[in-house]
Amino acid sequence: MNPIDPTIHKVLDGEIGPEALSPAQRRDADRLGAAAALLAAAPVGASVEQRVMAAIQRPAPSAGRRLVRWALRPHAVVLRMRPVWSLALVASILLLAVLPSPEAGLQLGDEEGIAQFVGRFPGARSVHVVGSFNDWGPVSIPLEDRDHDGVWRAAVVLPEGTHEYMFVVDGERWVVDPLAGRFVADGFGRENSLLIVRSLRR
Amino acid sequence: MRLALLLLCLAAPLAGQSVRSRLEGRVPAPSVPVLDSLIAIAAAEHLPTEPLIQKAIEGGTKDVPGERIERAVALDVEQLRRAQALLVRAGDAPPVTPVEVTSVAWALKRGLAPPMVEHVVAALPNQPRSSAFHAIADLVAHGFSADSAADLILAAVREGVHGLRLLDVSGAAVQELQRGSTHADALARVRAGLPNVPATPPPARSAVEGARRPAAPAQKP
Amino acid sequence: MDVGEGPSDAEVVARVLSGEREAFGLLIRRYEPGLLRYATRMLGSRDAAADAVAEGLVRAYRHLASCRDPERLRTWLYRIVTNRCKSHMGRRPTGDVSLDDAPPIADPGDTEAALERAEALALVERALMTLSPEKREAFLLKHVEDMSYEEMAAATGERIPTLKMRVHRAREALLEALKEYQ
Repeated sequence: MNPIDPTIHKVLDGEIGPEALSPAQRRDADRLGAAAALLAAAPVGASVEQRVMAAIQRPAPSAGRRLVRWALRPHAVVLRMRPVWSLALVASILLLAVLPSPEAGLQLGDEEGIAQFVGRFPGARSVHVVGSFNDWGPVSIPLEDRDHDGVWRAAVVLPEGTHEYMFVVDGERWVVDPLAGRFVADGFGRENSLLIVRSLRR
Repeated sequence: MRLALLLLCLAAPLAGQSVRSRLEGRVPAPSVPVLDSLIAIAAAEHLPTEPLIQKAIEGGTKDVPGERIERAVALDVEQLRRAQALLVRAGDAPPVTPVEVTSVAWALKRGLAPPMVEHVVAALPNQPRSSAFHAIADLVAHGFSADSAADLILAAVREGVHGLRLLDVSGAAVQELQRGSTHADALARVRAGLPNVPATPPPARSAVEGARRPAAPAQKP
Repeated sequence: MDVGEGPSDAEVVARVLSGEREAFGLLIRRYEPGLLRYATRMLGSRDAAADAVAEGLVRAYRHLASCRDPERLRTWLYRIVTNRCKSHMGRRPTGDVSLDDAPPIADPGDTEAALERAEALALVERALMTLSPEKREAFLLKHVEDMSYEEMAAATGERIPTLKMRVHRAREALLEALKEYQ
């Protein structure tokens, strides 16, 4: 590990002003500042308030029950789809494969907008989006990786308003949308992504 | 709780067949009557039912045990009730609309405090508040204090920014943050620029032309 | 602001301790964004962070009477959540644990810029995770949670000279990692 000039530490600790830095030192300090700013600006996950308030309404468990609860606590975070929906997913992929591609000149209603779904899933065989706008499957919406660069996309016409959703990768791995920026507890111990669709007309 | 819910099933008015048919095959069978009844009770109280049906179906798709789905839907009913009561307390004349109940429920779900939500409701008496709530919640999720977030959004409303344009206000503050401003500076910069905030660019033409509509959910045989 | 800054931490703590359980919700909403942000960066997973913060807040509620100085509630909460994070780090199973991919940003009108930002953030996160937990904790508390060295000492139980050293070493390690990835 390369030590950095103590002057940089003094500036970052607020002991002296940034004018004491040389241009090269300034670059290093700025790089660290930019990294911190990125970390500070990224939005946090869903609120845990409901979970916490529910837990404090219950009486505190005894040590023995705590041990049992810990042992029973689910550690797996890969939610697998029920097999029947996997079949429906396959069916929906086939169905869409035989449909004609979307025509140009798509007409949008006054209260409709376009949701752009994008995600980087290198190595994935399929990526679908499932949510409150399509009754959480079974006919889910496929994303496409046309350039085969691992970036999957879909543009979908949706009603204006708030929608909850998740991505399903390879038909079985549920993930929140990496670019969603908004999250909400799903009430089942996990999170959904949240999307707000804006009408293009208004 | 489950026994109490089952007893409520007997007392509640018969739910519409369409609710039950949407649940059947999507949630564990023993939970269908309980969920149906919960949703019927919500409907009788003039609460929005679609979010409850969606929550139940979501749980089924995610393979959640029936009792947990019932608990989640029951909690959502409670939250809708609180949202409804809050709207009346804040001055909306009953019957409050399902749209406004839903928007207040979203605000609570995203972690905004009831007194703050009430304040926003009262400050925006004759207009939809959904965008204001989401804009405030977006700011809080990025580390702005709830009070300063609400302050900025309500200032924007007073300057004539309405509806989904409020998301451009919160978006502008977040972009300032991403450029390295402190939270205080970000708020000050955006506030000084009101009512002018950069609009979110619309999707590219290629995206619009290539967009699909979701296929209708499969009909039950 | 018209609503006012709200009651002080000391006032809310007093209300909770006198039996007003619902008042604890105020403290949750006040501190959870920062705690979630911190725990997410410590653990590298939003789900694990949610668990650690929820457990920490429940613990804080049950031991609220032992918070000796309610004026410094914030650092006390960070101390509890730091311990929860350490516990999670100890028990995390190997393999496909995290649901997180590239971290999110707000409203991407321009999806290309959104992807670029997400990648820049992912790079920083990857660099951060190469740091030892002590250095990561020190960097996050100092530069992301904006704590003074005194506050950090209260939050971690470590001496200020120790923390200064960790922050300095963290900066060096992070800079090196960033240069390597870029």
